[in-house]
Amino acid sequence: MSDQTHMHVEHDIAPGDEEQHSVGERIIGYVVGLGLALLLTATSFFIAGTDLVWQPSIPVALIVLAIAQMGVHLVFFLHITTGPDNTNNVLALAFGLLVVFLVVGGTVWIMSHLNQNMPPMDQFIRMHS
Amino acid sequence: MPAAPTVEAMMLGKLDWSAIPFDQPIPLIAGGVVLAGILAVLIWVVVKGHLPYLWHEWITSVDHKRIGVMYILLASMMLLRGGSDAIMMRIQQAIAYQSQGYLPPEHYNQIFSAHGTIMIFFVAMPFVIGLMNLIVPLQLGVRDVAFPTLNSVGFWLTATGALLVNLSLVIGEFARTGWLAFPPLSELSYSPGVGVDYYAWSLQISGVGTLVAGINLVTTVLKLRTKGMNYLRMPMFCWTTLASNLLIVAAFPILTATLAMLLLDRYLGFHFFTNEAGGNVMMFMNLIWAWGHPEVYILVLPAFGIFSEVVSTFSGKALFGYRSMVLATMAICVISFMVWLHHFFTMGAGPDVNAIFGIASMIIAVPTGVKIYNWLFTMYGGRIRFATPMLWAVGFMVTFIIGGLTGVLVAVPPADFMLHNSMFLVAHFHNVIIGGVLFGAFAGFEYWFPKAFGFRLDERWGKLAFWFTFSGFYITFVPLYVAGMLGMTRRMQHYDVAEWRPWMIVAAIGMAVLSIGVICQIMQLVVSIRNREALRDRTGDPWDGRSLEWATSSPPPVFNFAFHPDVRGEDAYWDMKIAAQQQSLEHEEPEYHDIEMPRNSPTGFVCAFFATIMGFALIWHIWWLVILGSLGAFATFVVFAWRDHDEYVIPAAEVAAIDRVNLEERRNLVSMAGAI
Amino acid sequence: MSMTATVGRAHADPHHIGVVVEHPGPAPKRTVTAYGFWVFLLSDIVMFSCFFAAYAVLVSQTADGPKGSEIFEQRNVAIETVCLLLSSFTCGMASIAADVRNRFWFYLGMTVTCVLGLIFLAIEFREFADLVSRGYGPSRSAFLSAFFSLVGCHGLHVSAGVLWLLTMMAQVFAKGFRADVLRRMMCFALFWHALDIIWVGVFSVVYLLGSGV
Repeated sequence: MSDQTHMHVEHDIAPGDEEQHSVGERIIGYVVGLGLALLLTATSFFIAGTDLVWQPSIPVALIVLAIAQMGVHLVFFLHITTGPDNTNNVLALAFGLLVVFLVVGGTVWIMSHLNQNMPPMDQFIRMHS
Repeated sequence: MPAAPTVEAMMLGKLDWSAIPFDQPIPLIAGGVVLAGILAVLIWVVVKGHLPYLWHEWITSVDHKRIGVMYILLASMMLLRGGSDAIMMRIQQAIAYQSQGYLPPEHYNQIFSAHGTIMIFFVAMPFVIGLMNLIVPLQLGVRDVAFPTLNSVGFWLTATGALLVNLSLVIGEFARTGWLAFPPLSELSYSPGVGVDYYAWSLQISGVGTLVAGINLVTTVLKLRTKGMNYLRMPMFCWTTLASNLLIVAAFPILTATLAMLLLDRYLGFHFFTNEAGGNVMMFMNLIWAWGHPEVYILVLPAFGIFSEVVSTFSGKALFGYRSMVLATMAICVISFMVWLHHFFTMGAGPDVNAIFGIASMIIAVPTGVKIYNWLFTMYGGRIRFATPMLWAVGFMVTFIIGGLTGVLVAVPPADFMLHNSMFLVAHFHNVIIGGVLFGAFAGFEYWFPKAFGFRLDERWGKLAFWFTFSGFYITFVPLYVAGMLGMTRRMQHYDVAEWRPWMIVAAIGMAVLSIGVICQIMQLVVSIRNREALRDRTGDPWDGRSLEWATSSPPPVFNFAFHPDVRGEDAYWDMKIAAQQQSLEHEEPEYHDIEMPRNSPTGFVCAFFATIMGFALIWHIWWLVILGSLGAFATFVVFAWRDHDEYVIPAAEVAAIDRVNLEERRNLVSMAGAI
Repeated sequence: MSMTATVGRAHADPHHIGVVVEHPGPAPKRTVTAYGFWVFLLSDIVMFSCFFAAYAVLVSQTADGPKGSEIFEQRNVAIETVCLLLSSFTCGMASIAADVRNRFWFYLGMTVTCVLGLIFLAIEFREFADLVSRGYGPSRSAFLSAFFSLVGCHGLHVSAGVLWLLTMMAQVFAKGFRADVLRRMMCFALFWHALDIIWVGVFSVVYLLGSGV
């Protein structure tokens, strides 16, 4: 194995840390993030209260907007990037999100099935009376 | 209109003299004996003047090795408690045929609940966490874990949980609901006593401790590795530690949330799991098993890591299929979150849900099978030494395969409909938890004991302990498989079916054999401590090991390594030994430097003290004490955050003096090996 | 995975596929601390996900009590959201100020963050008190149980955050911008931003989606 190139790399940076930026650039990052977040929030509240859009699309739109806003927060406030110095941070986040998705998705799926096959007692009584 | 609370009720909540079970001799005597034992030890410690030593060197220690040892000590004590519960249950079922036996139902129910709770949370968990704490930083070639003081907090919170569970023996009662406290039985209307509260609060408090340990070890493995210790050079035990602790971090919050919901139901009249007002009992099953299934992999993955180390060392070969082993470990880590429904196939989900979770449960057996083959191929062609740790490893392989196969059997939903909640299931999970986790813990204990204390354990008693435990296990649990096939359900205080009786008697005899195994283990410890000079390990490498923990002395100095080792491949220490034999032995002496180590801190102990008060007060509804306890815990952290010096310096001269002794012994070892 | 690249080939290998990367050794303390806290935050988010899941399961179980659309006030939620968003921004400003060791801007940023957090808590407390006084407390129905615990759990986290914030200000006052204080400040900023992310989930799922049920 003597023909391998040995390369020394730097550590990942801490989650929340930014690569070297001046104070001005950092402030601009937060301002942009705040602007985008406010815009997305306003859109969410507007969509929820309006009848201008096709009603069945509203829940999907709200979820998409929420995910987009979480992304904005992660990028502009928590400074999570896809850079090579962020691998561990992103992997941990991905694992966490996978578990969140499995727990929430699994629970909703399983419980809706249980409710269908074995409805709670009051519904059961209503169905048969 | 309720009457205004009296002063007594405000001061003492629900607590009064009726909480002490004067009318029940068994818990009272057991509690009295334990209390007398604790008092005797305390008096001995104080009279002999060991208290300052204990306080400075152990209780306030933030050294990962000491904390690891304390975890294992806690687990061993609790193993005796949980084991006596098991003995009582086996005797009860052996004699309670068409009679009430000697344990009344309400007492029997407390015993099986306490047995499960203690064995999982206060034996298996602390044992594996203790071993990980003790060994992982050494294997990674670093001086400490990522968060030494938090590590101590985590241990003491776990101890708090154990203390509260045992307190329930003499003050009040324990849950009668089984080890997972399923509602609606565990709701206030069906369990109005403090038993479920003892259960829930001790798990909440020790759960915080476990979470802290998990975060600590994940960060240690990912962020603190020595130079050149790439991911694919880490010993297998470090990989399984990473996987297991990732699972802790992801799964324990689910337990915390679920128990919080149950407690809200009980304390504040919420309706998560009640029968009225739209509550949903099934949601508890769903959530608790979303924690519960990863939990069994949290326990067994470190055991897999231990077996990997043991099998490779005692076969004198590098681990076969290292990369497939890493892949299998991480695959188990992820898939373990996709199978939880197989614990409640029978609760009415549709066939498509059952089918998908059934298939996922069978799939998770594949990476486990990969591991078994890797261990077998590691042994194949190796120069195998059957020392005690290796015996446990081989015993594990046989036993775990049987347990795994019965597991695949109950992963098939139609079969599970027959076997659900039967003794077959009881036999299955004891088969994998004793055969996997406990054998693993014992193997790790025998294997790393010399590292922790500087002398080996007596082989003769060790082998006796293995054979008694191994055969005792089969005599106890094979009859339970049969009883399950004959239709016997679990948790029966008495029964009227004649066919079950002989199997219950055999199981009780098996329990006696198992107990002899435990006694042998205790004897082994006693004999070894007596003969410790003869068993002394001077080289730090008693087994001809392969990973870095064997590169330092036994017991290691507080700083573990005088220099961070520079790792060039898998089996780092093995490579160093080979290199040292080939090159000349006369190294010039390296230049030593000062080493900074974290200072000891009573934070963990003080924090656990307040947590105990808080937990006890919450259980008994003594609200002023709850407030006092939480203020105390917050103040402890502020005081800790305020300290100015969190590290002390070990001067280079002292490092050099300690390291020279070790180097000298090691040169002797290498030159002896060279001469042979 | 074959690793047989030669030194010569490595130059034509922009992604370093054939190169053995040597691990540089233990990471600096700042990285270790922040990473540990990052892992804690992920576990905290998993805990929240259970309360979200419980809410999703129980949202229609109103036991003939009020539905979400009958008790939620969009205007209050909007004010709460703006408060938290602005506080995330000011918290970011305070951490920049801490990094450049500017006491004035640090105290200012933290104070504004604290005030915004307290306004949020006051609005939430009023909402809860109002619901309870109308007989719509958490024991009224499973839906309300799930609502109170999810939103209340977030509120408890914000309260703990305010307590931590005040402790941080006291620490900077007493100890200055020491390395360990800066590490804690960094964890605090992570915590506060993460609470904001969870709030995005809360207002979207509980208040906006929940009004439709």
